[in-house]
Amino acid sequence: MSDECQQSKTRVQEFLQRELSETEMDAIASHIATCDNCESEYDFEVLFNSVIQRSCSEAPPEELAQRVLARIRDQISKLA
Amino acid sequence: MATLAPRLMVQSASLDSKPMSKKPTKAELEARVIEFDQQAMPYLPNLYRLALRKTQNPAEADDLVQETLARAFMYWKQYEQGTNVMAWMGKIMENLGKNRIGKLARNPFKSSVDALEDWQVGAATSLTATAASSAETIAIENLPADVVKQALDGLEKNRRMVVYYAIVEGMSYKEIAETMGSKLGTVMSRLHRGKNELREKLRDYAIQEGYLTEEVGAADE
Repeated sequence: MSDECQQSKTRVQEFLQRELSETEMDAIASHIATCDNCESEYDFEVLFNSVIQRSCSEAPPEELAQRVLARIRDQISKLA
Repeated sequence: MATLAPRLMVQSASLDSKPMSKKPTKAELEARVIEFDQQAMPYLPNLYRLALRKTQNPAEADDLVQETLARAFMYWKQYEQGTNVMAWMGKIMENLGKNRIGKLARNPFKSSVDALEDWQVGAATSLTATAASSAETIAIENLPADVVKQALDGLEKNRRMVVYYAIVEGMSYKEIAETMGSKLGTVMSRLHRGKNELREKLRDYAIQEGYLTEEVGAADE
């Protein structure tokens, strides 16, 4: 595996989170564009992230907002 | 520094203790209500999901969200406008959580965590370097959401929370470090290890359930 491949594979997460310098971002982007292997790893990471996001989609109980507001009103009455 | 970890918040024993010596004026309170309503309340669903990841228990999560938002309102003046409000409230929740002992939910992935923990530390880098096969991509894409969530909830807590903050909440490493009170490098390694471990668990599950054959999963290059 070339150094560029190693670099792009170990830093793909930082690349996606935009946690790299502009130069590093550019280097990885241009490498991915020319390397099929790294491109599929990149695609996998994008998909994997969206699969993780999708899995956490629980809706809060409907009355939770009401319970929160009741507590805050209670606080306000103590503060006011 | 009045950024993410207001010392006042950690020290105050309960909601009833007065955070400020002076009572807010009526106008101040009204302004706070409006700001809070517009900026904090829309994150209630996010806070609930965050609390679920932490507690793995809907009743505890419900409670934790109430306490978090009540505190966020109480200390609203300490929130620095323009910064990530979810990160700020996450920090409040972290602090509250330190005083609680979350009940461990039953989880089929849980038992394998300790064993994974040991070898995963050394294997983190090499796993990152493994290329994803198209078969793995398809398998992961087709896993039921509940399976993915259970695998996530089965990760060691710090790793699970970092993966959640980074991937689901889209928080920056710096925000996560501040929220969790850890170093940037720790955030990065927890994220890498957490994701690798999650991927490995899901790959095992996919093989076990016949979404993926062992040959393809293991021998791909």
